[in-house]
Amino acid sequence: MNQPIQTPAPSTLAAVMEMDGQEVSFTPGETIYEVSQRMGRQVPTLCYDDRLDPFGGCRLCVVEVEGLRNPVASCTTKATPGMKVHTKTPTLERHRKTLLELVVSENPKATIDPLRGSASQELVQLRTRYGVTGERFAGHHSGQSRTDDANPFILRDYDQCISCYRCVRVCAEQEGDYAISVRGRGFETKITTEFDGLLQDSACTFCGQCVQTCPTGALADRKAMRAQADPEPIAATRSVCPYCGVGCSVDLLSKGDKLVGIRPARDGGANLGALCVKGQFAFDFVQHEDRLRTPLVRGDDGTLRPASWDEALDRAAAGFAKALHDHGRHSTYAIASGRAPHESAYAIQKLIRATSGTNYVDNCSRA
Amino acid sequence: MPTPTDDELIQRWRSEPAPLLPLLHAFHDRDGHLTDDALRAVAKGLRMPLADLFGTVTFYHHFARTPPGQRAPRVCDGPVCRLRGCDALLRALPDATPMPCAGRCDAPIPVLRGAELLVGTTAGGAFGAQGDERGWPPPEAFLRLEPSPLPPPYPGAAGDGSGECVFAEIRTPGRATLAGYRATGGYEALTAARSPSEIIDVITQSGLAGRGGAGFPTGRKWQAVADAPGDPKTIVCNADEGEPGCFKDRALMDHDPHALIEGMAIAARATGATRGFIYLRYEYPDTMVILERAIAEAKTAGLLDGFALCVRRGAGAYVCGEETSLLNSLEGKHPFPRNRPPYPVTHGYEDKPTVVNNVETLCAVAPILRHGATWYRTLGLGDHAGTKVISLSGDVVRPGNYEVPIGLPLRTLLDEWAGGPGPGRSVQAVTMAGLSGGLLGAERLDVTLDEPCLRSHGSFLGAGGIMVFDDTRDMVAVAHEAMAFFAHESCGKCFPCRIGTQRLSERLSPGPGGSGPTELDPWTTEVVDIGDAMKATSACGLGTAAPLITDSLLKYFPEQVARHLAARKA
Repeated sequence: MNQPIQTPAPSTLAAVMEMDGQEVSFTPGETIYEVSQRMGRQVPTLCYDDRLDPFGGCRLCVVEVEGLRNPVASCTTKATPGMKVHTKTPTLERHRKTLLELVVSENPKATIDPLRGSASQELVQLRTRYGVTGERFAGHHSGQSRTDDANPFILRDYDQCISCYRCVRVCAEQEGDYAISVRGRGFETKITTEFDGLLQDSACTFCGQCVQTCPTGALADRKAMRAQADPEPIAATRSVCPYCGVGCSVDLLSKGDKLVGIRPARDGGANLGALCVKGQFAFDFVQHEDRLRTPLVRGDDGTLRPASWDEALDRAAAGFAKALHDHGRHSTYAIASGRAPHESAYAIQKLIRATSGTNYVDNCSRA
Repeated sequence: MPTPTDDELIQRWRSEPAPLLPLLHAFHDRDGHLTDDALRAVAKGLRMPLADLFGTVTFYHHFARTPPGQRAPRVCDGPVCRLRGCDALLRALPDATPMPCAGRCDAPIPVLRGAELLVGTTAGGAFGAQGDERGWPPPEAFLRLEPSPLPPPYPGAAGDGSGECVFAEIRTPGRATLAGYRATGGYEALTAARSPSEIIDVITQSGLAGRGGAGFPTGRKWQAVADAPGDPKTIVCNADEGEPGCFKDRALMDHDPHALIEGMAIAARATGATRGFIYLRYEYPDTMVILERAIAEAKTAGLLDGFALCVRRGAGAYVCGEETSLLNSLEGKHPFPRNRPPYPVTHGYEDKPTVVNNVETLCAVAPILRHGATWYRTLGLGDHAGTKVISLSGDVVRPGNYEVPIGLPLRTLLDEWAGGPGPGRSVQAVTMAGLSGGLLGAERLDVTLDEPCLRSHGSFLGAGGIMVFDDTRDMVAVAHEAMAFFAHESCGKCFPCRIGTQRLSERLSPGPGGSGPTELDPWTTEVVDIGDAMKATSACGLGTAAPLITDSLLKYFPEQVARHLAARKA
């Protein structure tokens, strides 16, 4: 039996390097960090987000390359044929711990509520992994939280900021909003809008991308944080945002039977971690006290009064039946709300197609 | 002339190469500071995000955002000016604020006011007792306009005037004019019929290497740009001379501007570049005028055909002397250093092949082509090729720029050429590479001025600034000011430098700004750990060089460190 012969493309023939003594092939253009991820190495980093251009800011991901005097940042250095890389040596681990200790000397908070954002535990986890106690390198703190920015969505708790600029980069590179930037320099750098104002006066669209990429919770989801004190564990349920036709994958965060937050899914095929202000923050209607709890029917005087489901459904059925009888199947039309669950949207189109025999059905999400 | 409107300024600059900095300067000069409306107009005119522009403007310490802004004096408080009484000047001048070393350590104290560079002095009884503000004369009594000094006469062996390359003709009267420059063969190297490969061969054989401090072979850099695909190619002259204690490029540009222009034009011919920039530090406004006049002269004489050369003025940021920060600054981006590779030779200005050379390197090009590679090589001592200009300042009798043969003993420069530390004094320490090479203690002054020797002692020659401190100086205070400078100038991109320079500065601080252990052992452990991480992991030379200050302080002055900690504990 003939085996198919797989010939690698010529450009990949020599694409072999060595990582921690193990030979590994790579795709030309791949960075050392990307290779290390594939190899299951736990190379630490705080400024990395695989959707963004490599930045090389935190320097935690430095690795040793044989023949080079200094370690290189693995996130910004491309793998080359024959390269011999060491991802975890005592020297590297010592420098990484020092760097983390320096970071923690500025940002001493040891626990961050996970409701703050998807990436909010990154620093806390590295701190635990490297046994950083926060006792060394005491000194000034540079963070200045913007307590004056009272917008309902994004907490700007810059006391936790480590100046990795993931927020600035995601805003520019992913969203194209360029609403925030870096003010000043050195230890005094701050995240800023134009003229250092409030987010609502800037080009910010409150998409929440900055919140979800922030590795310390300095930028945090104010809506989700309302449930910080609730004792139940956080559960995540994968769904699709109903607001428009893009189909962004989201994770619905709940505590007990309460929806507490919505997060974009990084593995969502349509959105790859992106979401808009509505998808992320506009969910209060779900548990709003003004929601109808019982069907209402209109009396002869034109006012609504509570009714039983049987009565309400009978009334609706009668109305549909009369319209179809008097004016034919195209006299009915259904439009479902973007705020309704997908199951309801499905049910309404089934209803209108099956009972009326028409395709006059729509959803505000299509617009 | 009527005050130009926003639109007129934008129309003037929007189609020019690298328009952001000159446009911001135009508004800054017009209004004295950059108003919100000015930034809105610039963002709209250049189609830039306003938040980005705002952030980038705040990066540069000379761009003022509020009155009196540019019209208030800025007084140099660099290491040498501190020895010369800048504190008194700061108190005496209304609204004065300090600025980092402004590159005039041979004739201090530089004061920027509006578009003018003035020189302030506290000598000659202009002041009463220090701290006594009564009876001080008006600022004009101790501020004067004064051109930058020429290098001192060549102090090498008698009759050995040939030991110089870039300074060989600089003292000739009229040298800064086109006629004066041409009188001794200027522009002959450019107009001689040499092919690009012939030019590069001579430069390669001469051993000329980057005189800004990195020491990369110039011929190899030019060859790489000549070979790199992509057009247009660019020659950038790094004239950002921000290293404290360095003022050599200013002397070269002020007194021999055509040497630089000819060097750039030759580099352009050798590499096929059609555009050029001189990125000049903000603190040299006089130099800007001199360079623009010289470029106009050369252009009129038809010497720059096919090479569009212009000057761009920085706005106060040491890190813009790092070549990739400089390129970002030219392009109007936030001046963080870029990740390398790729290097500027393939991805430089606007991602096209670019030569970035220091002023001194480019000034050496024409003499080398005129006199030959062997001539230049043999100017150095022993195996070392060529010369290096040393900016010598501080506690020496004759501070100034000295062009030394590479390999010259430091002692010869200090004692024989510059007259030593003065009567009754001895040298306690010198800095190397401005501040970037750290300190050399008295017991290490037997070094020779070349990279192999200096690197073997944990230092380097770099851009060639040497500041001398005599036995009366507090070296912890010097180290603290140096580290505070690095912290002030750290760009904020990489963690080790951004936090490390700050923490080291706090550990060296004598006053309320200080923090950290007060016992020697834990203090040393912290300082060494921070320094080691900075040296190993920082993203650019600023962060890798800064800890040489603390390393050398601990190495040469442990008892002063102990005294510093004892005082802090008390």
